[in-house]
Amino acid sequence: MKVYLDNNTLTKIDPLVMEAMQPLLTEQSGDLHSLHSFSSTARKLYKEAMDKIYASIAASDNDDIVITSSGAESNSMLFMGVYISQILTGRRNSIIISQRESPSIMQIAKMLQEQGCKVHKLPINSDGVVEAKTLLDYITPRTALVSIQSVDGESGAINPIEEIVEICKRYEVPFHTNATYALGKVPLNVQDLGVDYLTISGETIHAPAGVGALYIKEGNSIPPLIYGSRSHYEQYRGGPVNVAYSVGFGKAVELAVDALEFEMEDAKELRDELEEALREIDGVTPLIPWSLRVPNTLLISVEGIHSEQLLYELNRVGIGAYSHTIYPFGDWEKKSIIEALGMDSSLKHTTVGFALSRNTTKEEIDYTIKNIKEIISYLKEFSACTTKESK
Amino acid sequence: MSKEELTKNIHPENYRFKLQMLIERPKNKGIITKEEARQLNGELFSIEYGSAQTSQMIRFYWVYDKEQNRVVSARYTIFGSPTLLAIADMAALLCRNKTPDEIANINYKSLEYFLRDNPVDPAISKERNFSIIFILDALKYAVAKLKGEEIEESPIVCECANITKKSIKESIKEFDLKSTQDITDYTLAGAFCKECISSNRFSHPREFYIEDILKEVKEKLEEEQSKVAQIPDKPFKEMSIEEKREAINAVIDRHIRAMLVMDGGDMEILDIKNNGANTDIYIRYLGACSGCASASTGTLFAIEGILKQKLDPDIRVIPL
Repeated sequence: MKVYLDNNTLTKIDPLVMEAMQPLLTEQSGDLHSLHSFSSTARKLYKEAMDKIYASIAASDNDDIVITSSGAESNSMLFMGVYISQILTGRRNSIIISQRESPSIMQIAKMLQEQGCKVHKLPINSDGVVEAKTLLDYITPRTALVSIQSVDGESGAINPIEEIVEICKRYEVPFHTNATYALGKVPLNVQDLGVDYLTISGETIHAPAGVGALYIKEGNSIPPLIYGSRSHYEQYRGGPVNVAYSVGFGKAVELAVDALEFEMEDAKELRDELEEALREIDGVTPLIPWSLRVPNTLLISVEGIHSEQLLYELNRVGIGAYSHTIYPFGDWEKKSIIEALGMDSSLKHTTVGFALSRNTTKEEIDYTIKNIKEIISYLKEFSACTTKESK
Repeated sequence: MSKEELTKNIHPENYRFKLQMLIERPKNKGIITKEEARQLNGELFSIEYGSAQTSQMIRFYWVYDKEQNRVVSARYTIFGSPTLLAIADMAALLCRNKTPDEIANINYKSLEYFLRDNPVDPAISKERNFSIIFILDALKYAVAKLKGEEIEESPIVCECANITKKSIKESIKEFDLKSTQDITDYTLAGAFCKECISSNRFSHPREFYIEDILKEVKEKLEEEQSKVAQIPDKPFKEMSIEEKREAINAVIDRHIRAMLVMDGGDMEILDIKNNGANTDIYIRYLGACSGCASASTGTLFAIEGILKQKLDPDIRVIPL
């Protein structure tokens, strides 16, 4: 049996998304701005897709949504745009992010730091979330951007975005959130949240990998990252629009919002079942409090067992899980979750995560529980950390 | 970067057969109790190296027979990646029935060779070399503990992986490492928080940086290399006897001596004679090489082969 539990990294493309993309992949189609009827289907489908994306995050018609190639591109576009228009011109001088942003933000922040921009990294508390009040220590009216992710992709912790936005509004500082891991897992409404910029991405919502979007609130404007626009379709991003993927993304966003209730109740039930079963195993600690976590994610640390060893053994029985703390596959730009939570550093290399999707079935979870119990007891037999007493 | 770099597969499905077997069915894992040690007429040593914080940890269980001066049984428990497990398993196997000195002499080449599927292909990808180095360090540490020797202290450069300045320097020399990435691949220093790689003005200043150590060692190596005898820049046949001696010495120093010294032997040149078109080199074996069965066959052909290839096809080597 094969069980895929790495859905925060990449998801299977939904058949309905495939169906929506089909006409654009198999039939002759023209570029969006061409003056012939070959493009009419593409233009129609693109318009519909954009409608769906606007509707799904409740964006107003005066806001802008740019289709990009990924969440990473959206983030880079925003940060570069802010750097060029705000920081280089000397209007503002600093950027605030959290300790646990995705690599695209961590790396661009590092680059901006090298260019002379002040970058502050907000810590997370022992529950794994950023506390809004920590922002008050760093924010000034000269802050160019605050960017805090809505949901942590590794641990699934949900940050209190509304509270942070409130503080940003008081200082008139634009706020961006990376909602890649939040879309389809928590209600996402840009009007209620009041964010200025928001990143979403396709690979976590059953769209193909290679498509994402950046939401830009009315009144904000950023220069493009990729030049070469030929028409209004491309004013934020040069190069022909990837219509097929945009249409797939539109369908996927719609499905994700439709399935939100299912995710929050049925998928959560499965996740909780897994969590309860794992909690009973000696040495296993789920990392973020249940109520502060998205419904599909479970991150555990297993005392005395190296993440890679556990992943290897899981893979042998057909279960795909994830860990961000393995060299050279890990993501060490950000602070490791165990350190950030202030836990015992001997657990630093023992985190393994499971991210479910709406396709995960009960049989799969039962199979996972059965196997993981066996694997952990097998690995503990010769773990250098747990066999100490018999020295 | 290159195509190979961009597309290489270092994921578990690409583990070689032997490595995979060792990972999936490790035969020497587990602990040895005092009772079992007594049955084997030995004393139980359990030696811990590394820690869970630094992602690699091993505890050897050795049954040491004082009369025979041998480790009669070896097992281990481990915390680390599957690759580390495979290497530890092989290391435990190699420790069995060896004297402590023999264990301390296990080097990178021999351990890595035993992990290979076939003699040509490397056992593990370059990125995972740090696991081998870790096990070798652990063996050396364990032997020192067994003998009750003092362990030389060296300042720590990378706290995340607990790597000392000494081990970084040794790796640079031994494997001829060229970049900081290479150092990370071979020692794991700088793999995690990356603060120790090079100085930057955004983090707390540190005493040591990998970049500086690399530079320092490279400079030293270059200096030493410039001292090594150079081959005179003209065809071998036109050289005088003295120049020939210099050239042959240089080739032996660079390509042959290390090979012999590794097995506890050495050689010296007694005389060089021009014999028509041929050049006869009379040599004498020293140390373990003298009296070795292969001294007049395999080793001799290897020496002759290298000299022929590097200098002149008409060289003949005659051991006395």
